[in-house]
Amino acid sequence: MTRVMLALLATLLAAPAAAHHVGAYVPKDNAVTINFKQVKFSVQARKFDIALRLFETGALRAEMRAHAATLPAGLEDGTRAALAASDGPEVERRLMIFFAALARDLALEADRRLAEAGGTAESRAATGRKFLEAIWRYYNLVDFAVATRDNKTSVAVRLAFDEAETYVKPATGAAAPADPARLRPPLQRIAQVLSTLIEASPTHARRDS
Amino acid sequence: MTVAAEPHPWRVPPRWVLLVAVLSIVCAEIGGASMARFKVELTRWARDAMLARPAVHGLVGVRDVDERILDEALVKFDAGLRLFHMHAEGMGLVIIATTMVAATVARAGVARRVIIALLTTGGAGYPVGYLVWSALIPAYGLERAKTIAEWLVWIPFGSATIVALWWLTGLLALRMIGR
Repeated sequence: MTRVMLALLATLLAAPAAAHHVGAYVPKDNAVTINFKQVKFSVQARKFDIALRLFETGALRAEMRAHAATLPAGLEDGTRAALAASDGPEVERRLMIFFAALARDLALEADRRLAEAGGTAESRAATGRKFLEAIWRYYNLVDFAVATRDNKTSVAVRLAFDEAETYVKPATGAAAPADPARLRPPLQRIAQVLSTLIEASPTHARRDS
Repeated sequence: MTVAAEPHPWRVPPRWVLLVAVLSIVCAEIGGASMARFKVELTRWARDAMLARPAVHGLVGVRDVDERILDEALVKFDAGLRLFHMHAEGMGLVIIATTMVAATVARAGVARRVIIALLTTGGAGYPVGYLVWSALIPAYGLERAKTIAEWLVWIPFGSATIVALWWLTGLLALRMIGR
């Protein structure tokens, strides 16, 4: 009886002893997403002079220049021109194209990485999961802008993203284990849908007539 | 005028216990001060150590992906140092308070000594787990570092404190029932 009581006590004690408080991590914005929000809110408040200054001195423009090779021609100049002309919808459209391009490039890179041989299923799933987080961090910023212009694209990206997520979730309980091999088709779909969106959106500066 | 004698005067715990408790608080203060003074150096060291072990942290070489992984690890690295500061400070006071209760309440010599030893070692050792966790993150990654700290420090020292506290609670309950 005493032994049973001691065993019970030891079991009860083990639970709180293993529950250590190690803090929680809340993902932060990076310099690009912070600058995007600054510009977006300035435009929404119709403070175009402030938005232009924030764009010209911020990480958004620097990132546009860094990715110039994969972005549609004239995107940076057109964004600055739209800000100078106090054209809110045009600024939003150009920023939508920029973030769609960032998300597309990440989807292409993720697909390329997953096509390479090597690594365990868990490590490949973890890589896929991290890429999906990065893709969503950018795409999520402009999903509303995409949906208001092209609802089918928004739905297609969301569906592909949801599907991709199911293949990289870690196995818990009765859930199936991660299957990174099946992750490539939805990633390719995200890249293809976003490429179509970008190509269908003209980026040369609009002429006032 | 006469002053009534206290029925149960508080007994001071052994000197080595007080020394350990005070040392724990001193370490907490030094840790907190160092954390603030060398914040940049510590962050740089942890970041460099993590970049030197991309496979451990699952870095893929794409900035948009890696910056989030590094940020989470650095936040946890900093949290470990903060939690060490906070716990070492608090547990120093807990050691003094609980061992004083044990020294006063536990009559049997062996029981008193064991409870005091468990409270002191457990209380002083447990916060070190946060320091160990923090120090191991750059080399072993978040989860592996946590597992090592758990089995090496948190579980043994935390259990020692919990066992001693329940034992002390039981003794107190028995005394109350016996009155």
